[in-house]
Amino acid sequence: MKLTSLRSLFASLVLPLVILMGLGLSTSALAADGQNSQQIANAKTSDADLWRAVKAGDSGYTVAQGSEAGVLINVVGNEGKNIKNEYLTPAMGVAVLGVFSAFLIFYFVNGPSKLTKGFSGKMVLRWSKADLIIHWVLAISCLGLIFTGINIMLGKHILQPYVGEGVWAALIYGSKTIHDYVGPLFIVSWILCVVKWMPLQTLKMYDLKWFLVVGGYINFGPFKGKHPDSGFANAGEKMWFWTLAIFGLFISVSGIMLVLPGLDLPREASMAALLIHGLSAIIIIAFTIVHIWMATVLSEGGMECMKSGYCDENWAVQHHNLWYDEIKENGTLEYKD
Amino acid sequence: MAVMKFLCDTKRCIECNGCVTACKNENDSALEWGIQRRRVVTINDGEPGETSISVACMHCTDAPCQAVCPADCFYRTDDGIVLHNKDTCIGCGYCLYACPFGAPQFPKKGAFGSRGKMDKCTFCAGGPEKNFSEAEREKYGANRIAEGKLPMCAEMCSTKSLLAGDAEIVSNIYRERVAARGNPGAIWGYTPKVGA
Repeated sequence: MKLTSLRSLFASLVLPLVILMGLGLSTSALAADGQNSQQIANAKTSDADLWRAVKAGDSGYTVAQGSEAGVLINVVGNEGKNIKNEYLTPAMGVAVLGVFSAFLIFYFVNGPSKLTKGFSGKMVLRWSKADLIIHWVLAISCLGLIFTGINIMLGKHILQPYVGEGVWAALIYGSKTIHDYVGPLFIVSWILCVVKWMPLQTLKMYDLKWFLVVGGYINFGPFKGKHPDSGFANAGEKMWFWTLAIFGLFISVSGIMLVLPGLDLPREASMAALLIHGLSAIIIIAFTIVHIWMATVLSEGGMECMKSGYCDENWAVQHHNLWYDEIKENGTLEYKD
Repeated sequence: MAVMKFLCDTKRCIECNGCVTACKNENDSALEWGIQRRRVVTINDGEPGETSISVACMHCTDAPCQAVCPADCFYRTDDGIVLHNKDTCIGCGYCLYACPFGAPQFPKKGAFGSRGKMDKCTFCAGGPEKNFSEAEREKYGANRIAEGKLPMCAEMCSTKSLLAGDAEIVSNIYRERVAARGNPGAIWGYTPKVGA
């Protein structure tokens, strides 16, 4: 080729180079085989590579017993600790204080949802005795776990500075022990609750409309006086049920992983369990606070359901109209004598 | 004020496990069956580049165990030694999950094999109990630091591979060693003396 200009010179030199580079990249893996064995052996014995491998969690030989004794460094747990301290612990504080105070303010600004027609005095069967027992065993075990769990997660920040060393030691040890032994009770009652109540909790189209008017609990503005359709459980209760069903499963499995050291889990699994346990706890605690607020003060006549198993007829009509219509129609409506 | 550190010179460690034995013997009163505070791990065992490292609690300046402990039972002494209070420890195991070096050890105790009080290397500095008291000896073992001595593992090391003491002094010793023996194979895997 006759080089007539700078441009053709450039083309004749650079283009083959570019093509060669492309070929070179694709064959670089083959080129590695060209290293002699001594070079590879040296590379393996270089200090930098050794420490890189150790830092990455390489395992070696040791006479020490116990899980992962051969691992010199495993940084995964420390990263988990950072997530726990930087995100989960503050989130727990926000969940407890934030949700509680939000509802406190809501209560004072908005007030409870009153029965528009007052109490009728006629009581309708809503929960069987078995339901009541399951509910209260679950509730008491859950509250036990919540209080001891909050002490385990936040106690060293909010309690320890104000109590003596001995008192703190007794409190934290007591919390851990109660937490360990109440756990199984929670798991059993959680399983019963999920299995027995699941048929009542399937989501329906009218549940979406319930959310659009915030369940009819707002006593001012455009939502005032609305009573959205609702079956045996309203959309909010269904949300609470499914949250407890899903995160109850997470918290139970992760709790078992944490409480039984005989499982000899690797640190990654244990730390993952700890984080999942904490996250699930935050979500369940936030919802528990909402649940208690709704049941005790925000819905007039609501608490009666879980005390006697019966609800006032007017309460049933106002809050669970579809359910009331249904039992009235099919004759399963039962009054208290 | 010192900052106490361990350093294991891997070019000297011969995996004799003398440090493990010395630790076990010195802190025998506090160590329950199955607990060893120090272990020796050999990387590339039986291959070129075989390297042994003795490891126990590293007495971290920003200790993960201390940060994760829900009972807040850890504390750092003025010498930078990380110690813990067994009376406050609840045996939850979080420190074991968080520690990158696997230092915390737990005796199996109670129902369902639940964890007892955590035990780990104390840098032979005892614990929060009164120095040289019976309680300290039973819970934490030796307190050689209060006697003005260094940890038994390092003192007994036959090749002086395991160094313990103030970080500055330890690193000065190590630096002198490295300067004296060179560091073959560190650059591109090239060994100047052999030429390979």
